[in-house]
Amino acid sequence: MERNTLALLPVLIPLAAVPVAVLLRRNPRVQAAWSFGAMLSAFITSAIVLQQVWQSGKPLVVQLGGWAAPFGITFVADLLSAMMVLMSQLVLSMGFLYALGARDQCVQYPMFFPLFLMLATGLSGAMMTGDVFNLFVFAELLVFAGAALTAISDDRFGTEAAYKYFYISLLASFALLLAVGGLYVSYGTLNLADLAQRIAADPSPPLVLPAMALMAVFFMVKGAVMPFHFWQPDFHTAAPTPVHAVLSSVVVKLGIYGFLRMTTLLFPAQAELLRPLLILAGVIGAWFGGLGAAGTYDAKRMLAYSTLGQLGFILVAIGWGTPLALIAALVYAFNHSLLKAAMLMLAGSVASRAPVKTAAFEAITGLGKVTPAAGVLFLLGGMGLAGVPPLNGFISKLLIFQSGAAIGDYAPLAAIGLAGIVTLVYVVRAFQRIWWSPMPEGVKPKPYGDRLVAPAILIALSVALGIWPEPLLQLSNDVVDWMRTPDQYVRAVLGG
Amino acid sequence: MMDLLTALAISALFGVGVFQMLRRNLIRSAIGLAILSNAINLFLLAAGAYRGEVAAYANLAGQRSDALPQALVLTAIVISMGGFALILAMLYVLSVRYKTSDSDEVKGLRH
Repeated sequence: MERNTLALLPVLIPLAAVPVAVLLRRNPRVQAAWSFGAMLSAFITSAIVLQQVWQSGKPLVVQLGGWAAPFGITFVADLLSAMMVLMSQLVLSMGFLYALGARDQCVQYPMFFPLFLMLATGLSGAMMTGDVFNLFVFAELLVFAGAALTAISDDRFGTEAAYKYFYISLLASFALLLAVGGLYVSYGTLNLADLAQRIAADPSPPLVLPAMALMAVFFMVKGAVMPFHFWQPDFHTAAPTPVHAVLSSVVVKLGIYGFLRMTTLLFPAQAELLRPLLILAGVIGAWFGGLGAAGTYDAKRMLAYSTLGQLGFILVAIGWGTPLALIAALVYAFNHSLLKAAMLMLAGSVASRAPVKTAAFEAITGLGKVTPAAGVLFLLGGMGLAGVPPLNGFISKLLIFQSGAAIGDYAPLAAIGLAGIVTLVYVVRAFQRIWWSPMPEGVKPKPYGDRLVAPAILIALSVALGIWPEPLLQLSNDVVDWMRTPDQYVRAVLGG
Repeated sequence: MMDLLTALAISALFGVGVFQMLRRNLIRSAIGLAILSNAINLFLLAAGAYRGEVAAYANLAGQRSDALPQALVLTAIVISMGGFALILAMLYVLSVRYKTSDSDEVKGLRH
């Protein structure tokens, strides 16, 4: 097998496993084993892809059907894509592991695992594709799978939340299609590398800026960025816990990935227009998410709001756009994915102990008494989220503050610094409600809940990355080196 | 002349789609989404009209439409068909639960 073809596997394995998993629907155990095997092999291949790309220092480029770059369909695994895909596949595999041990009704649904695999395909495909139109196709796959998974949720309002999300996401996809049309009229190509080259050579066509704006709208909706965030808390809260853990941690990172690509590859010269907007949206998002999380009544909803806040920090870093800030954004994105997925799984596992499954604080007050192990993990994860050493969250916050201080942009820095304190408030409040308060009289928690293997692995990884962050820092540093030389990407795709 | 007519038709579809989308009735807003998707498909199609090259195997003189946007539109149509089917399915569940199509009445998520 040619070495470059490796880059296809993280997308192809889950995609090919979907029809088989559908055929296996009459044997739930076989189906679960098959789907989990596919998910794990996708994760392992994405790790191999990352290792190959990182060691050789060259992107893996696949031209489907052998058609050369600007004409055919291109898949590119450069270091940014490979890192984001590895992060996604890691959390997706853990989400899958959690789903295997979950006691939700919807996990028994015969299409649950195939839809989950479709989600994995859409996400890794959207991050690996080298073509704007394929980005649309994979994003649609992601949206379909996410909406269907939430519509079958145990939550009574699952369908309503899924409808809301699906409607907004279709509108976002329309924005991307308009951007595709605008770019095609202007340059006659949709290949990312080719577009990057042509936009750099001649940024004069009148539709370039509208296309950039529409694309930014698309990624803002995908990443639940401030003016387009309103679907996120409802949708994420109503999703089944394993799906929520994936949606709130890695699926929203598609927006982050998009902004990184837009500011460093597609529109580096026009990025100055986008940056102040990102900083503003990030600061507002950090405050809005933090205050929303502090004021909410439901543990899962609190964590959904917290995602809005944490994404705000990453956006501010992308908005600063210096190499150090970009490193901070990448490290923050990686750490936040691990921590947020683990925290959501822990909140979900406590909710699964409640007599009637819910994560509302009034129903799960004191329920933590039956799962002390979850309490320890939740406290660790919460400390990480708030940025207390020695967890990995501390390093990401430290890098963000360092990069802000380095360029002397103190106003946003102070704003997000204060918003970071709010994180501590809501995390400690949730911990205190669930694990420290006495259990109300007459509440009988269920003897069994969701298994804790997946969050334990994620928290262990977070602690390990907090104590020994060098590999992640080195990787992010190299990714930023790559991002600063987009020529390398263009040359690898177009040849020559 | 043809350019102007196409542009007017697309903008009219856009207007109707956005107007329907903003209605309170959920079914109308879903239909608005479908109209909007058609407007965007036409826009994509127009992106390649009147300025393409003749395909290498076609031995014809003169200008032809670019074929790539047509392929894109085909994909977009199929995807929006699937999306519309999913929207209608979820709308059906909602209308059974709430016995209404007024979006103000569908407020289970509002607290």
